[in-house]
Amino acid sequence: MTNAYKIIDHTYDVVIVGAGGAGLRATLGMAAQGLSTACITKVFPTRSHTVAAQGGMSASLGNMGEDHWNWHMYDTIKGSDWLGDQDAIEYMCREAVPAVIELEHFGVPFSRTEEGKIYQRPFGGMTTNFGEGTAQRTCAAADRTGHAILHTLYQQSIKHHAEFYIEHFAIDLIMVDGECKGVISLDLATGILHRYQAHTVVLATGGCGRTYFSATSAHTCTGDGNAMVLRAGLPLQDMEFVQFHPTGIYGAGVLITEGVRGEGGYLTNNEGERFMERYAPNAKDLASRDVVSRSMTMEINGGRGVGPDNDHCYLNLMHLGNDVIEKRLPGISESARIFAGVDVNKEPIPVLPTVHYNMGGIPTNYHGEVVTLKDGNPDTVVPGLMAIGEAACVSVHGANRLGSNSLLDIVVFGRAAALRAAELIKPGSPHKPLTPEDSAPALDHLDRIRHAKGSTGTAQIRDNMQRTMQKHAAVFRTGDSLQEGLVKMRDIVDSFDDVKVDDPNLIWNTDLVETLELENLLHQAQTIIYGANNRPESRGAHARDDFEERDDENWMKHTLAWTDEKANVSVDYRPVHMYTLTDDCEVIPPKKRVY
Amino acid sequence: MAEFRLPSNSIVGPGKHFPAPEGATNTRTVKVYRYDPDSGKNPRIDSYDVDMDSCGPMVLDAIIKIKNEMDSTLTFRRSCREGICGSCAMNIDGGNTLACTMAIADIEGDITIYPLPHQPIIKDLVSDLTNFYAQYASVEPWLKSDSPAPPDRERLQTPEDREKLDGAYECILCACCSTSCPSYWWNSDRFLGPAALLASYRWLADTRDDATGDRLDDLEDPFKLYRCHTIMNCAQVCPKGLSPAKAIAETKKMLVQRRG
Amino acid sequence: MSNFRTPLSQVKGHGSAKEGTAHFWMQRVTAIAMVPLVLWLCFSVASLPGMSQEEIRGWLSGPITSVLMVLLILVGFYHAKLGLQMVIEDYIGNHGLRTAIVIGVTMVCAFFAVLGVFSVMRIAFA
Repeated sequence: MTNAYKIIDHTYDVVIVGAGGAGLRATLGMAAQGLSTACITKVFPTRSHTVAAQGGMSASLGNMGEDHWNWHMYDTIKGSDWLGDQDAIEYMCREAVPAVIELEHFGVPFSRTEEGKIYQRPFGGMTTNFGEGTAQRTCAAADRTGHAILHTLYQQSIKHHAEFYIEHFAIDLIMVDGECKGVISLDLATGILHRYQAHTVVLATGGCGRTYFSATSAHTCTGDGNAMVLRAGLPLQDMEFVQFHPTGIYGAGVLITEGVRGEGGYLTNNEGERFMERYAPNAKDLASRDVVSRSMTMEINGGRGVGPDNDHCYLNLMHLGNDVIEKRLPGISESARIFAGVDVNKEPIPVLPTVHYNMGGIPTNYHGEVVTLKDGNPDTVVPGLMAIGEAACVSVHGANRLGSNSLLDIVVFGRAAALRAAELIKPGSPHKPLTPEDSAPALDHLDRIRHAKGSTGTAQIRDNMQRTMQKHAAVFRTGDSLQEGLVKMRDIVDSFDDVKVDDPNLIWNTDLVETLELENLLHQAQTIIYGANNRPESRGAHARDDFEERDDENWMKHTLAWTDEKANVSVDYRPVHMYTLTDDCEVIPPKKRVY
Repeated sequence: MAEFRLPSNSIVGPGKHFPAPEGATNTRTVKVYRYDPDSGKNPRIDSYDVDMDSCGPMVLDAIIKIKNEMDSTLTFRRSCREGICGSCAMNIDGGNTLACTMAIADIEGDITIYPLPHQPIIKDLVSDLTNFYAQYASVEPWLKSDSPAPPDRERLQTPEDREKLDGAYECILCACCSTSCPSYWWNSDRFLGPAALLASYRWLADTRDDATGDRLDDLEDPFKLYRCHTIMNCAQVCPKGLSPAKAIAETKKMLVQRRG
Repeated sequence: MSNFRTPLSQVKGHGSAKEGTAHFWMQRVTAIAMVPLVLWLCFSVASLPGMSQEEIRGWLSGPITSVLMVLLILVGFYHAKLGLQMVIEDYIGNHGLRTAIVIGVTMVCAFFAVLGVFSVMRIAFA
């Protein structure tokens, strides 16, 4: 292999990969604490997919009725179907209140109540008094909360003079003896490689929605950090738990926020029936997402779907009135008009459960430090490596995330990572020099893909993968279908050996980048479908037709999945943290999950 | 300096034609500006006959289809494909817009796609927005307040005051507006352009911010602000339906009002 | 030729001139002032019985007429100067050339304004 690449070297205290909400919160936190900080991102920060979050961010402010973080914690644990780590969930729900206040102080343009406080709306699975009433807990900036938060965080990062490497594609981590020493990236604009040495690398690279054919995720949601971790010989956790958002626009897959149902919208089938009343008598349309997605799928499978092919449902909001729609939901009226040709004041929106979020990811503790199972210790910290946001699996979402807990997750754990880094790293402390061998694996990896001269196009392989995942690892899963999917995926992964990259150049070579992303996706798809086949129970977003019950005795544990070079998966397990951080709350023991 | 003729290395030449796959009956021709920085050759226009029966409804769907099936070297930015990230801003059918929200059916005849006008081109449809982003940063688009925030709760703001931010905070920084503005074409080195001025106004209009005076001081300049001649291209092309021109007019009004 | 100034430094340039509002404002004020003045001129000239030099001189020597005429000339040339300056700043990028042309235009406008006022006065006080 020829490694005759020009490389520019940098040293920093910390390097963050990814500039979505989590990455930016960590970046500005670390920069503000005097650590020399760089943030590498493959898209300009405000183009990260946090920008597309609509509904809001949960926090028990109690602006719109009584609330308590203990209730939020209970809801999150119940939503997670008892796969969430309760210490981390306690941390997140407790820190939610200061986190949202901090965002407001940063300047996020939240919608307001008549008293001038932050407006909060109801969201799925969010209750008061441990499941009794409906909580108004989701802090919203109309239906553009993600946009408002992401832009504000970027503005704060400029204010704190954070250093960005924009449109740099991260290739691989630099690992030395099990420690992370830095990261290597490709500057798209110049085609020059950059090598960053850092005391800590923070992965904030988001999820891998694009493993599926129809996803609300952006084209750029390819889970590059997850794949870098797999290549570094570390595991991903709970990848089989993929959230289907109940309301993606039929056909386009574009997200319609749960906030529509929070504001009073509801789903109907072809008989005009509000079918959620049957599936979730109490919470109805505001049951948690896995429940609603399953109910919709059952309606469609039962022949009660709408449209010529009876293959989707309707989301109704005509009754809300112009005023609510204009003030609270202006963005989704625009999306519905453009992508479904629907005037939401007059017609329902055609919707379908659509891949939305990865509950799984890089296992971390509640400080954001990456952990792995090593020598029997399931909480062994990997030195020099952190992960936050959708890329991480803390695990606060367990088997199913509640709506509006992800904007919370990114901000709380972005901040937690910054605090931890400040504890661990003395600003400006010296680095041990790297040897050329340390970065050789990354360069070989790049070289191999760049000079791939096979006969199958990247898009062809990607399409095969996405369709296979969509068919075999969907809302409902069965052993037979998963087995079939595993066999197909094996062939698809093998076909990657024959991939071709047509564009020979290095400047803005998106052919190369898409192929690198595809390789990343393939490894993650393998962990998803393998994990799904491996887990013989139904829990949260993982619903098996052949194992309809939750099996706490054998499967209340996290899956850890490793892949080898050929994307063969091996698994092991970590226990769920059934303990809390403090005595301010009690462990919520598992019970039947009814909404 | 206003330049009305292209420099010799920017003159666009003819390019390659990519025919539709055999059997395709319903095709549209997509003409795309191509520039390859590695070859150093002048830009060209390649044309692709795209099979519309297997293509999504938006222009972005068409160019992704081209990249996937006809020519994998075609280079463009894209991400969210739902009109909120601002990546795929380009000049389509003569107007700046987002490829992901521009319906193919709304275009008559051939679909012509160029990069955003008057920006340096890195490759194909990818333009260099460094100056645009620097201008955004230069208006210091963050909350500035000397009044301490309450330690354990939010700053208060009435719903009416919050409403003043509507039409200003939703900007996605796609650069459609600035690169459609003739004043920006001639003086982008000194005129901040509609997007940065809208970002600035978003903070002028925010009741929580108390740097209004400083912000106005910084804007009061014949070039930074007053190159806006209310041409209104910005408001016409904004894919989010915002009006930077109105925000600029409001800013000028504030500057006049504070004089007496 | 490489340039090592950062993009932000280039954009910030020399900062703000703290000027321009007066120019903007006066352009509007003079435009508005021109409306009645030009209407007056058109109607007055149109309603003159004849167009001989004698008749025009007679009309122009009236006190109200000459005062309004002086105002029209001053406002008109000031407005022209402001507008031309704007156009020049838009289209001439070279700083030296731009400054020279703006000064030139200012002087030409001033010359014709003074010439106009002087002419009206000669007629008025003849």
